[in-house]
Amino acid sequence: MFLALREIRHEKLRYGLIVGMVVLVSYLVFVLSGLAYGLAQQNTQAISSWGTSKIALNSDANESLSQSLLTTATTDKLALSDHEAYIGQAGVVAKAAGQPKLSAQFVGLQAHQFVARNLKVTSGQRPATARQILVDDSFHDNGYRLGDRVQLNATAGKYTIVGFTHNAKLSVAPVIYGSLGTWRTLSHVTANFKASGVVSNDAHFAPKTAGVQTLTRQQFINKLPGYSAQNTTFTFMIAFLMVIAMVVIAVFLYILTMQKLPNYAVLRAQGIPASVLVKTTISQAMLLVVSGLVIGALLTAATVLALPAGVPMSFNLPLLAGVTVGILLTGVIGALIPVRLILRVDPVSVIGG
Amino acid sequence: MPALTLSHVTKQFGHATNQVTVLEDINFSATAGEVSLVLGPSGSGKSTFLTIAGGIQTPTTGQVQVQDQSLGQLTTKARDALRLNKIGFILQAYNLVPYLTVQDQFSLVDRVKPQGNLSAADLSALLDQLGIGQLTQQFPAELSGGQTQRVAIARALYQNPDIILADEPTAALDSARVAVVGQLLHDLAKQHHKAIVVVTHDLRLRDFADRIYQIMDGQMTVA
Repeated sequence: MFLALREIRHEKLRYGLIVGMVVLVSYLVFVLSGLAYGLAQQNTQAISSWGTSKIALNSDANESLSQSLLTTATTDKLALSDHEAYIGQAGVVAKAAGQPKLSAQFVGLQAHQFVARNLKVTSGQRPATARQILVDDSFHDNGYRLGDRVQLNATAGKYTIVGFTHNAKLSVAPVIYGSLGTWRTLSHVTANFKASGVVSNDAHFAPKTAGVQTLTRQQFINKLPGYSAQNTTFTFMIAFLMVIAMVVIAVFLYILTMQKLPNYAVLRAQGIPASVLVKTTISQAMLLVVSGLVIGALLTAATVLALPAGVPMSFNLPLLAGVTVGILLTGVIGALIPVRLILRVDPVSVIGG
Repeated sequence: MPALTLSHVTKQFGHATNQVTVLEDINFSATAGEVSLVLGPSGSGKSTFLTIAGGIQTPTTGQVQVQDQSLGQLTTKARDALRLNKIGFILQAYNLVPYLTVQDQFSLVDRVKPQGNLSAADLSALLDQLGIGQLTQQFPAELSGGQTQRVAIARALYQNPDIILADEPTAALDSARVAVVGQLLHDLAKQHHKAIVVVTHDLRLRDFADRIYQIMDGQMTVA
């Protein structure tokens, strides 16, 4: 570490540029992974808050809640317990006087069932009547307040916001929670239709009723419109970025080591063990990469603070740890490539004449 | 016992028709307390001689012995340790690590060889003797050619080796400094019982040598 630190101190510009490069790479990877995770979260936040393990849909709905309709005749055969709850989903446009129009997902619930009971209210209260709604915090961010009367679509009449809830997003749209009756009105279906689907917090829930298909939570999430394509795109972007970063960092470290070989040859001639030089090279690479990662993380944190609330950025500790370890491994591999050169450095080359 | 012995050492490079014999049947010994001067023009094989004597290269045939150890029987790691503990190199070019101050050049030795180096007082006296006592916080790029060479000499002496192998140690020095370095090497040999081998084409060092050898076309003769 002695040699590594002394060299960095002496060659501030050169090593500053390398740290700068690692900062930019890690910043980009952190931000991208934050956006990817944030977007994924906005697809599924509401589903996560329901605490559900299984979901039963109409088998002709192509595994989509918004396309599913369950008739009362069908739901009567399901033999539901306290572990199950009806869900009705419909896309809506919300508008209140003096507020912007917001595209949202209306989710109709039965107030006494576990999904409605588990909803966390950040301000106000849960809906008590059919004309009351509980809405995602993003409505508040857009100027909506408790007591606002909101027009849902053009024909469904007005509903009063009685509460706000946090992290209620479905397919990246804010969720409006209300009654199943309102869902029927918004979906233009009669009382013969009970709900879009049934969710259950019982992992063994698997009704054998004809015309009903049961999915696990993850299967259902993977089938959300655009969800898999979006995640695959981000995963490939981050993976390609990591590979390119590895090559760039490795090339930089290789060039650096090549430039140091004459010095290393002198030290080898003087009997300094190759292991000391290898340790110096690897510890120096680690120091540079860790410094870059720390600054990159701080920059990312500053970016999160500076970004508007609407930007879907969210961080997941295991994902962040994975990305960090990935970049660190990149540095290790980059530093290990030139080790062969150090081991083979020829002290004869510095004794001329 | 001689500190350093080369017996029937031959060094060849290349193969078959491209084979070149750089050293041919060299017999040489250096004794503690003496300065041995190996004179020869550029390309005569004196640097190859020095690298073989220091265990950096192995001879094609023949034996190299440092005190009671035959270098041919040592692993690379053991030869590294031998160089670190018993042989000091004074190199002609790229002598110093460019990002270490003069003081740090010695600190580096302390880190890989904590025992047996010169004391702080001895180092200070040595630096003053070489006229570089005020330069300990300078980087090599801030030194003149002569100052750099004198720091390199001090660096080699710092690890207090039994044998000092010097490759053109006075190449960048004026006559006054040549005399200082020559006298220093001479005193080290006499007062500290070092075996000093200098390969050079600088005839000004003749006055400080106990033995003088001539090397020409790979063959060594006593001058």
